Amino acid sequence: MIIRDFLRASWLILRKDLQIWLRQPANIAATIVPALVILFIQALGAQAVGRSPVALVVEDTGTQGALIAQAIRNADVFRLHEVDAVQAQAQLKNLDVVAIVTIPANFTAGLQAHQPVQVNVTVNNLNLDLTNDIRRAVPDAVTQYYLAQGNASPIKVTMNESDLRLRDIQLFQYAVLPTIVLLLLISGLITGGLATAREWETSTVKELLLSPAPGSAVIAGKVLAGFVTSFLLGVLVLAVAYLLGWIYPQGIYWLTTLLIIALIALMGSSLGVAIGAAFRQIQPVIGVSMFVALYLFFLSGGISVLAFEPTWLQSIAAFIPLTYGNHALQMAVFYNSADLLGRDVLVLALFSLVALFLGSMAISRQSKY
Amino acid sequence: MFNAMGYQLRVIWACAKKDFKAALTDRLFTVLSLFVPVNLLILMSLFVLAGGNAPTAVVMEDQGPYAQAFYQAMSQAHSFRLQITSAVEAERLITAGQIVAVVTIPSDFDAQVKQNQPVQVGVQINNLNTDFTNDIRRAIPLSITSFYAKAFPNLVNVSVQENDLYAHDTDYIPYLGVSILVIALMMGGLLQSGTAAAKEWENQTMKELLLSPASRWAIMTGKMLGAFLMSLGSTIIVLLVLILIVGVRPENWGEVLGFSVLSLVIFNTVGTLLGTVIKTRQPVIALSTGISLPLFFLSGAFAPISFTTPLLQVIARIFPVYYQIVVFQHAFHGFALNTYSLGGNTLILVGYAMALLLLVTVALQRATVSH
Repeated sequence: MIIRDFLRASWLILRKDLQIWLRQPANIAATIVPALVILFIQALGAQAVGRSPVALVVEDTGTQGALIAQAIRNADVFRLHEVDAVQAQAQLKNLDVVAIVTIPANFTAGLQAHQPVQVNVTVNNLNLDLTNDIRRAVPDAVTQYYLAQGNASPIKVTMNESDLRLRDIQLFQYAVLPTIVLLLLISGLITGGLATAREWETSTVKELLLSPAPGSAVIAGKVLAGFVTSFLLGVLVLAVAYLLGWIYPQGIYWLTTLLIIALIALMGSSLGVAIGAAFRQIQPVIGVSMFVALYLFFLSGGISVLAFEPTWLQSIAAFIPLTYGNHALQMAVFYNSADLLGRDVLVLALFSLVALFLGSMAISRQSKY
Repeated sequence: MFNAMGYQLRVIWACAKKDFKAALTDRLFTVLSLFVPVNLLILMSLFVLAGGNAPTAVVMEDQGPYAQAFYQAMSQAHSFRLQITSAVEAERLITAGQIVAVVTIPSDFDAQVKQNQPVQVGVQINNLNTDFTNDIRRAIPLSITSFYAKAFPNLVNVSVQENDLYAHDTDYIPYLGVSILVIALMMGGLLQSGTAAAKEWENQTMKELLLSPASRWAIMTGKMLGAFLMSLGSTIIVLLVLILIVGVRPENWGEVLGFSVLSLVIFNTVGTLLGTVIKTRQPVIALSTGISLPLFFLSGAFAPISFTTPLLQVIARIFPVYYQIVVFQHAFHGFALNTYSLGGNTLILVGYAMALLLLVTVALQRATVSH
């Protein structure tokens, strides 16, 4: 009997909050459109990532000049504009290229005479990221030029690469998962938070608290409403990314992907209800939710790769539950792996429970007044 | 005529003062909206630290002079944060995700190099995404070439001669910090003006305003002035953090101040437009924060947009944020990021401001309150 009452009350609150959510298409659009736009922009810009536009000027007409020019073409790290020196200068001035690589006219003759020769690089060093890409890529091409000489190459040291993971992931593919996570989090926080705060702003909380429905059923209904909407939005973006071929979970890993999405949605929604019950007004709830979402997203390595971060940032990330959500999704979606899945699920589930507890406490505190 | 002008000025001032006071009564939201932009600046700056050097373990199985010279070449490759470890420790670190590469210099490195025999340097990479891992893939050959150029200058005749356009390199954070400043200004400006405008509709106080004898443009100007004063607070905070903590010193203070004011006018106008059209705070706030990240990625925050794909360049030029990043990069670093002059970019921004003001005026003229 008690369980039936609990379920009935939860279901009614869930249904009511969903109906309110559906009546606000502007809110739904404001939640989902930014995430889709980020994916769209990253996909459009993917071709340019790590491949800077460079002007190549080959002034040498000999065999060695042709060989090093070929090595630069084969390096596949530039978007090359093969032009003469005057055009190259114009392109550099107009910011059409980030650098000019010039094979000087005496390149072949110098090498044949065993004289030092230089590949000239004029670089627009306006930021170190781009500049260092060029600083790495041109010597890389020089190394490839020597390697192409086989046994005749004076460079005998080579690189024997082994990769930790089965496949390389493009940057824009890699960014899909944090984008979904951000969407789930914002949606859960906002939907859960507003559904709760609205009860106070419209004073309907009085009816809820005075009704025979247990407080836990009220919390459960509100959390479930936030969970359902966030989960659906997350699955929608996941499906779009899958149909575009950006992600490829297979077999059982579809289930683990959906499980993690569900847990993040639950966590966001629980936290949202806790924030809503604590602040009780729509405007501060939205502000706090955005604040919390930004911190959780960035500190879990949202726009970056945690392994590249300094140790102290990695240590902070270890305390952010979304870090584990990101990890589990990456494993399932890109590598068809369940590596540390138990740990990730446990952390997300525990954090959701803590948020639920905080929400219950906030509502119980209010019911005393 | 002077009476009419005085009346309009009183309306503007009254609306601005009312919105300013109303914002101050909602203390939590005001504090949050003041500090959200600066938090965005801090968080994004923290995480572009990863755009720099890759944490890498070097396992020195050979301690000979050539092996040491190779290690030196790696340390000067603008690419690595190196630490020498044992093979076991390196394996532990890469498995735990604390480093992204292990470079193993084999025990016969010196002997093989001395005898001009082939030798392989082992490179294990945590290939999480290609943007980051390709940096490592290119940095090892760079180290090899640098090593040979120093150790055997007569053997390797081809070297790279670099000429830089600017006298000094600009680090990634000072560059990106300026772009983030624009996004932070946007978020602060949109939040303040958008919520102030939407609140009038939500509370239905807009009815009184529209039915009053005050002209609509004076009401709108007053509201935007109030939002402008509030946004100024978050702008000052963001600028102080950027200049004093991140350490980005402007090359031209006048430009920084002028473009900050112009940017706030644009963002306050967009916010007022959003608030007037949408009429409820919730989607206005969600949109104000939600569009900042996409526009950040779109508008050339990381590098001039001419280095990206043509379609993105076309889309980026639609939004004022692109031109704002261009003028702020000029104000802070003296960079010219597009082919327009500084005056040309400024004129475009003024054009945006005028067009947006016109749009808000039209939106307010057409706005009605239903009963």
